[in-house]
Amino acid sequence: MSDPRPATAASPTPPTIPAGILESVEVRKTYDLGRVKVPVLQGATLAVAHGEWLAVRGSSGSGKSTLLHVLGGLDRVDRADGGEVRFEGRSIRSMGRGELDRYRNREVGFVFQFYHLLPELTVLENAMLPGMVGRLPLAWRAQRPEVVARAGELLDRFGLGHRLRHRPRELSGGERQRVAIARALVNQPRVLLADEPTGNLDEKTGAGILDLLGEEHRRGLCIVMVTHDAAVAARADRVVWLRDGRIEES
Amino acid sequence: MVYASLLANRYLVSRVIPLIAVLAVALNVALVVIVVSVMTGFLDMLRDSGRTLMGDVIITHDIVGIPHYERLIEVLEATPGVAAASPVIETFGLARMPYGRSGESRPEPVQVWAVDPRSLAKVTGFEDAIYWRTPEPEVAESLAADDPRLDREFDRLAEAMAINDPGAEPSIILGIEISPFNRRTREGTYRPEPDAAWMPRHDLTLALVPVSAGGRISEPREGRFRIANEFFSKVYQVDSQRVLIGLAEGQRLLRMAEGPLYDPDGELDEEGRPKVIGRSPARATTILVKGADRLTPNELKMRVAAAYDEFAKAIDDDPEAKVKPPGFVDIRTWEERLIDLIAPVEKERALMNVLFSIIYVVSAALVLSIFWAIVHEKTRDIGILRAIGASRAGVLWIFLQWGLVLGVVGALLGLGLGALVVSRINLIHDAMGEPAPTWSIVLAGVLAGASLLGAIVAAARGSLLHGLIWSLATILLGAIAVGLGLHEGAVMWDPSVYYFDRIPSRVDPWLTGFTMAGAVLFSVLGAAIPAAKAADVDPVRALRYE
Repeated sequence: MSDPRPATAASPTPPTIPAGILESVEVRKTYDLGRVKVPVLQGATLAVAHGEWLAVRGSSGSGKSTLLHVLGGLDRVDRADGGEVRFEGRSIRSMGRGELDRYRNREVGFVFQFYHLLPELTVLENAMLPGMVGRLPLAWRAQRPEVVARAGELLDRFGLGHRLRHRPRELSGGERQRVAIARALVNQPRVLLADEPTGNLDEKTGAGILDLLGEEHRRGLCIVMVTHDAAVAARADRVVWLRDGRIEES
Repeated sequence: MVYASLLANRYLVSRVIPLIAVLAVALNVALVVIVVSVMTGFLDMLRDSGRTLMGDVIITHDIVGIPHYERLIEVLEATPGVAAASPVIETFGLARMPYGRSGESRPEPVQVWAVDPRSLAKVTGFEDAIYWRTPEPEVAESLAADDPRLDREFDRLAEAMAINDPGAEPSIILGIEISPFNRRTREGTYRPEPDAAWMPRHDLTLALVPVSAGGRISEPREGRFRIANEFFSKVYQVDSQRVLIGLAEGQRLLRMAEGPLYDPDGELDEEGRPKVIGRSPARATTILVKGADRLTPNELKMRVAAAYDEFAKAIDDDPEAKVKPPGFVDIRTWEERLIDLIAPVEKERALMNVLFSIIYVVSAALVLSIFWAIVHEKTRDIGILRAIGASRAGVLWIFLQWGLVLGVVGALLGLGLGALVVSRINLIHDAMGEPAPTWSIVLAGVLAGASLLGAIVAAARGSLLHGLIWSLATILLGAIAVGLGLHEGAVMWDPSVYYFDRIPSRVDPWLTGFTMAGAVLFSVLGAAIPAAKAADVDPVRALRYE
């Protein structure tokens, strides 16, 4: 089990936080909806340690998903917003587009509430997809056996070894989410970013998914999971709250 | 990018609507291939026929003609790259044609070529163009059993080839369309009208206007000619206007044969006649030249021009030659000579290409609208791909590649369909000329009935969409069945009216290549705007897209 270091609660001056694998420092994010500007993150500061399983709780619309997108480099925090996100001490704002694409592809893996599998691809192809992304044909030819083996091993471990050729529509919700987790892990990322991973599943199936995440966590995977569910959050090493756009320790 | 190829292919085969775009591209390409191939075939036919008539390069001078042409032919035939040359006199005349059995006749203006068939056959396809002759065995097989040419009595080839032989009776060969009594059949062959004049059994009178070596026009002279045969060059303008007579007879009537050369200053001899100062050489207005196969007409033209200069210089230097050849003659390739026939068809073909290219814009618009809708539908997939690290260029490439695959598949299908139709165009044309077979009417009727049943079942289940589709299918198939039933056979290009017996066609590889490349290019262009839209999608919004 990892030794999570506590995140510093929001404060008027930029806090000093211990170095982790992933940090957000005074991150602000405002959505411009035409006449209305909606502030979502208002100085969210958070540090995630190597191998930590962190749960971020918050009410609906509190900005949990936005925080996750910002941490994963999917939503950029520009200078006008303020604050920054660091991965292993390096600001992801300093990354170029290609570097940011590689960051999302290699360093982090996303898991979504609604699975977001591609319906035209088989289970195996969905799981292999991040392995294909960012590789040119020649490189892919060399890497393909390794990626296929890794995706197959993950799916087998998640109990889907007999479903490799199936399409997502032929799977249950729990099975789809397991495929989504396999996809997120196929490139062996350092951090898994899970957005309400059990939010669309019944309790029993959700528990199965959490067990699976727990197992990966024990293998050393760092997980940042947002959820509104206390029982789900309880599976994490540490829980923080997102209130009024700021992080608060529970 | 491997994932882009994978997704482009999966998107293509997992939806019906892109397949409609493939079909549209394929039909466009097929349409262009068919139309352009038929026009290319028509152009080839014109060129082949034209070249067959006049060899590769033509030397012409005005009606005064080229003296010492026999020496010119010797020089030409000694020139490397020249296979043969033949003299011709081109002029106009009035032919008094026999009409029917009554002996009635009427003068017709005709274009007259005085030729030597023996040498002409070495330069042109003259011998093959002679119509009344026993056909080659492979041609005979395709002829109707009652075709008169299968009757030995109609074989007059020898007479046609002998019209310029020494001592031959003055004879003439008519273009097959000159006689009003040759009926063109639906097979594209000719038959003499029953109980009317078959030309080779008759004579005609031809009046020509001689022009002296000095260019003085004399009184017209008439000659009586036995009709030796008729020729079919496959160029209507030639077959309906030209007649061929023997070169020697033409020279005699036109006063272009060798004869005494009188003193141009008009001095009279002791007996009061114009003083003879030498011999005036025979003249011909035109020399047809055939080149060796390896030479292009333009290369041959340059060699012929050099040979003419050599000939003119030799005559100029010859103190015995009192009459000198013209310093300037017109030397043209067969293509240049036929420009007024070929150029309009070439222009029409180019115009067709441009007009039909417009339909690619329609394909591009179709691809664009389909892809626009698909990008809209696939917004969340784009978000997912961005989340797992796909670049904007990668997303762009998915849709561009999809457009590329769609264009390539459509172009290949179109080429296949077009080539199939072109290769079977005469079979299709012949089938259209016959009433529809009963089985096709029954099949269309049965399918219409089945569709009606489908419409009734759909209506009973309350499905508006399926009811509408089945109803439309019923109407369409019913209309096809009725149309087939009423079809009594319609020949679009009736060879008895149009001047070809089979629809000519040739798939030009370059034009086809451009057509296909155009289809692919416009498909990619159609996909480009939706692809750029996809690449611009904000991944966070895309993931939240419902």
